[in-house]
Amino acid sequence: MDGNTAPADWKIGVDIGGTFMDFCALDTRSGRIASLKVLTTPDDPGAELLTGFDLLDEREGLDPGAVTRFVHGTTVGINTILQRKGARLALITNQGFEDVIELARLGMPEMYSLFCHRAEPLIPRDRIFGIPVRLRADGSERIAPTPEIVHDAVRQAQEAGADGIIVSFLHSWRNGAQEATVKAMIEAEAPDLFVFTSSEVWPVIREYERSSTAILNGYVHPRVAGYLSALEDRLAVRGVPARALLTKSNGGLMSAHQGRRDCVSMLLSGTASGVMGAAWLARQAGESHVLTLDIGGTSADFALIVDGEVQFGTDERIGDFPLHIPSVSVSSIAIGGGSIASIDSHGVLRVGPDSAGSSPGPACYGRGGTAPTVTDAMAVCGWLGQAEMAYGQLSIDRDLARDAVARIAGPMDRSVEETAQAILDIAVSELFVEVEKLGSRAGVDLRDYALMPFGGGGPMLGAFLARELGMTRVLAPRRPGVVSALGGLVADMRGDFLQTVFTDLDATAPRQLCAAFAELQKEGDAWLKAQGHVGPAQVRLSADMRYAGQSYEIETALEPDWLCDPARLATAFHETHRRIYDFDDPAGAIEIVNLRLSAIGVTPKPDFAEAIPTTAHATPARQVQVHLNGARHIPLFERADLVAGATFDGPAVVCQEDTTLAIPEGARAHVDRHLNIHLELAE
Amino acid sequence: MSDKMTLQVLANHARAAAENMAHTLHRTAHSAFVKETQDFTVMLMDRHGDTFAVPMDLGATWYPGLSYRRAIDMVEDYRPGDVAFTNDPYSGHVATHAPDTHLWKPVFHDGEIVAWTGGHIHNTDMGGAVPASLSRSLTEIHQEGVRFPPMKLVNEGVFDTQILRIMETNVRKPGLNIGDIKALVGALNTGERKVHAMLARFGGDGFLSGVAALKDQAEAQARDILRGIPDGDYVFSDYADEDSDFANPCRLHLTLRIRGDSAELDFTGSDPQLGSSLNVPSGGDPRHTMLLVGVYYVLYTLNPRLLLNTGLTRPFRCIAPEGTVLNPVAPAAVGMRSLTCARLRSVIFGAFSQAIPDRMPAAPAGNNCIVNVMTHDERSGQKVIAAVNPVVGGGGGMPHRDGTNGSGADAAYLKNTPIEITETEVPVEFVKYGLAPDTGGAGYWRGGLATEMAFRVFAPDTRITARNRDRSRFRPWGVLGGRAAGLAEMVVNAGTPDARRMGSADTAILQPGDVLSIRSAGGGGRGDPMGRETWRVAQDVVRGHVSKEAARRDYGVVMQGGEVDETATAALRGEARGHDGHFHFGPERDAFEAQWTDAAYARLTDILMALPVHWRFFVKTEIFRRMEARKGAEGVNAAYAETRKRFPDIPHVRTHAEAAE
Repeated sequence: MDGNTAPADWKIGVDIGGTFMDFCALDTRSGRIASLKVLTTPDDPGAELLTGFDLLDEREGLDPGAVTRFVHGTTVGINTILQRKGARLALITNQGFEDVIELARLGMPEMYSLFCHRAEPLIPRDRIFGIPVRLRADGSERIAPTPEIVHDAVRQAQEAGADGIIVSFLHSWRNGAQEATVKAMIEAEAPDLFVFTSSEVWPVIREYERSSTAILNGYVHPRVAGYLSALEDRLAVRGVPARALLTKSNGGLMSAHQGRRDCVSMLLSGTASGVMGAAWLARQAGESHVLTLDIGGTSADFALIVDGEVQFGTDERIGDFPLHIPSVSVSSIAIGGGSIASIDSHGVLRVGPDSAGSSPGPACYGRGGTAPTVTDAMAVCGWLGQAEMAYGQLSIDRDLARDAVARIAGPMDRSVEETAQAILDIAVSELFVEVEKLGSRAGVDLRDYALMPFGGGGPMLGAFLARELGMTRVLAPRRPGVVSALGGLVADMRGDFLQTVFTDLDATAPRQLCAAFAELQKEGDAWLKAQGHVGPAQVRLSADMRYAGQSYEIETALEPDWLCDPARLATAFHETHRRIYDFDDPAGAIEIVNLRLSAIGVTPKPDFAEAIPTTAHATPARQVQVHLNGARHIPLFERADLVAGATFDGPAVVCQEDTTLAIPEGARAHVDRHLNIHLELAE
Repeated sequence: MSDKMTLQVLANHARAAAENMAHTLHRTAHSAFVKETQDFTVMLMDRHGDTFAVPMDLGATWYPGLSYRRAIDMVEDYRPGDVAFTNDPYSGHVATHAPDTHLWKPVFHDGEIVAWTGGHIHNTDMGGAVPASLSRSLTEIHQEGVRFPPMKLVNEGVFDTQILRIMETNVRKPGLNIGDIKALVGALNTGERKVHAMLARFGGDGFLSGVAALKDQAEAQARDILRGIPDGDYVFSDYADEDSDFANPCRLHLTLRIRGDSAELDFTGSDPQLGSSLNVPSGGDPRHTMLLVGVYYVLYTLNPRLLLNTGLTRPFRCIAPEGTVLNPVAPAAVGMRSLTCARLRSVIFGAFSQAIPDRMPAAPAGNNCIVNVMTHDERSGQKVIAAVNPVVGGGGGMPHRDGTNGSGADAAYLKNTPIEITETEVPVEFVKYGLAPDTGGAGYWRGGLATEMAFRVFAPDTRITARNRDRSRFRPWGVLGGRAAGLAEMVVNAGTPDARRMGSADTAILQPGDVLSIRSAGGGGRGDPMGRETWRVAQDVVRGHVSKEAARRDYGVVMQGGEVDETATAALRGEARGHDGHFHFGPERDAFEAQWTDAAYARLTDILMALPVHWRFFVKTEIFRRMEARKGAEGVNAAYAETRKRFPDIPHVRTHAEAAE
């Protein structure tokens, strides 16, 4: 390597979705990135990893022994929930409160419809067992559990075929000991069942939200843990010295070992790191307001980047359920490239939520799938199948796609092309509704934003969605297939900790706050150590605060030395309240509900090479036929040929190894020095 | 703005603005009514004061068709930064009971008012005879708290402290009122900012014509739906358990006349103005939003893409004769009108159910009971007034699925308060919060189950109010062979020797250690329960939603262990006789209507409507007193003759029927 005598040093980010495993490998000596996509092997999870290493070895000369960092993101958790394929759980809770998870917070979506309804809970009522235990609101025990009662409940759970048990009792946010006692009794009684308590998963006040978070953790646990141990085994077999790290919902990292129990904190693993990666790329490309759109095989995720910053929330939803742990704010809908189109009982064409996944996958992949998918519709319309895909592992068989779409075109009495176009229109409109709601909640005007499509499917549908939303700018990154994998490479270690203090902000508060802070700091330090982090560390401190009498807290960022200064804390809260809600109440009494700490282990950030722009009109590789309001010929560009500074006009299709960018009529494209394509859409 | 593409953009912007306002109010409010029960609304209004956008995710569902016109016109000389308000049910007919405080703020563009932002909050207390200002027993509006006719509350950005002082002096929890009002003003400011952004985006003319087009669009959608409903007259009645402390039923009666793309809702035949606070002050407005809430639900259910604004009220005309429960004359008390409004919605659902049986669900539980506790906190030494969870019941069986358990249909906007939050802030201890078995009406699609809540108190003379309790006597009805649901109930110390059943009462006084249990009604069933798939019945049994006995009795399903005995089931179902008739009301209403026939009510209405308003409720009560062993129109005539004999001062007036002879 031109006199570079430094030893080989690779950092690898790997993100797995429903269809592909994406690799982003950084050779730190050259600053060069190699990217790769491998089809997933659901029947043998982890096998795709070895395939990827083989291919990287073959193409890039990667030596597994030189991998000093291995970061992994996975949708295995969230897909388990969206597809409702998780563990068979039982819930042990207080007698008289067995219906808390069905009643949820009572309200339901579509409140003007007489047909409104809630989602089915993940644990049906017949596997919920109420036992006579009770804590008071101050955490003191009024009714203690007895071994006999726990024994009975466990026996019933076993008879109901439970794989694991969730324990959630009222007021365990204040005192987790009662839950811990019952957990110990269960483990003694039934060592083959796994057990999670609500207070160990996330000790936040509000019984439905806390129980629901613990249930999500247990629901995905067996699949996630099984997946992670298979992964670690494969890495060991291949001789990778680095400890596997996982991307988390909070955009940070943890060890894979931690992830086996702490499953709920990686539910948004791949999606959160996608947003982290997108924010990194957006900063490079000079865009500060971005709507990210990550479409994989089974789902689409979107998020806002405001003023260059990823947005965080503590009331994200996973499918139908609230997730109360700190997460990068990402919204999700079960529409992806593998989403299956079907005709419902009223003769209406629908897309999703069923997905062909990667096995059998879209019909056009020729792997045995016969149901028509969004990807097949793209192939029928000619946007796909004009070139090799996924690094040569896939070829698109457009005849198979036509056959699949024809299965529903017949009953609809439409041509295959028209039906394919309708599938795409419906998929885009499904995305439109969800994105509009996100914009409304966040209070932003999406027309001020650029849309950044990535994932395998984002670039196929992104520009069409942008047009639907009235957005005029699209930013298509050079390697849209590996943004999540890249996000893992630029992320820091991050553990979140919470202590519910529930105190008035008065002169006595500092003592309690400082004690809680010391406790949190201890937890944070221990956590970073357990993750094997060496290097600089930071803490981020915040508090959930509200005016006395309000029901909702807002997270207020704090500095540790403010904890002994109630006036300074109050000022911080008033300012935050005013920023979010347009007003504050300086005379209002303040309560602090939770103190939060994030322990951050800072990792070194990679450098990427830049290209020198030239001014050139890009030359298409050839003309291809697509269906776009009738058959027509449009130019096809090879992404690898598009140099910095190149410009061209839509309609056009850009092919590259990991995805295909579809560019609608009236778009102007130019390529920047990081080889991102910027589209300007006509209004 | 003529093209539909850009109109949708404006609609989305308006919706986003309304959601933003709701978000601000909901998150910053102080009282449980606003922040937990979500008894609030926010809206954007056109320059005349007609609502053109409301939130879809937060707040109550009552006011998308509300017009502030009359209240706006009662205040002069609006300037930028002004906010006006009223809570008087008899000034402009915007507020509909004293706790509801409505605020509105002009939005100026080039010196002209081009829009208004507005909304209401339910104040915990507005003073008056009883805490929380609401009691069925009150008979005059003057007992229901301090009233402010429309006036400015904020002058060019500055609160009028004199008004705030008057309010603080007269109400029991001034901190909550002022905190909520400030939160609502914050929400109006958010809305104003968003409207300014829309003006910048669409231009003044584009905004104004676009807003008009949104209303036209809603009207066109509503007319489309009406065209899909067969023309006809659809007649239905429903009853609130009690009309006052005299405890006679309160009847609401509707003749729904569908004609092409318009409809008339004629409430003639409903009870006279009541001597209690159950009156609904519509002011006789033929499009008053309170009369049309049930219609919004029906229209939205039939077309979930419906735009919700005043435009959709245009095809409708309501007739509510003056001096009746749906159009009372001042100073009739109106505080508890929400109970009547729940019945009003079920009357509308029942009429539409006859017009389009295939597309409507059975009756929802229909008692949106709000439970308040007034007690002493021994921990802090302070008096506490707090709302605990609402107790609402399940939705009715739908054409394609079971009714939702525990809440649903027209109660779906209500939220609960986490038990951990309530127990931390209020000295009560919950014993139960969940679903009650065997309370959903049997049907091919079962009605949703009732909610049951029980809690213990610790301080002497703890006062409970369970506002809007109803359906303790008249069950939520089933349709198309489905059965009526279980009744509501309130019991003190249930299951103990000194248990007290509270009947239809909506208050209770508890002593230390007492446990109060409140159960709602369930939702009505839809379709023949004997046809319900047996695995669904078995699942209901395993989940404890239906008992084995009820499975056998109501569904003809015989369970052996956890399994269905198919042979015994087939035999039992073979013998079963279905229920004929569109509705199933249950024995209580059937018995009542055997006495109080349609003819009896027609005669009663004829008598009462001929009398001066202040005589009507008195005479109704006296006739009811004398109906024992009597029935039908003849019975009413006899009872009326006896009443006149006892009270010869009843004015002599010719009734409508007599005039016709």
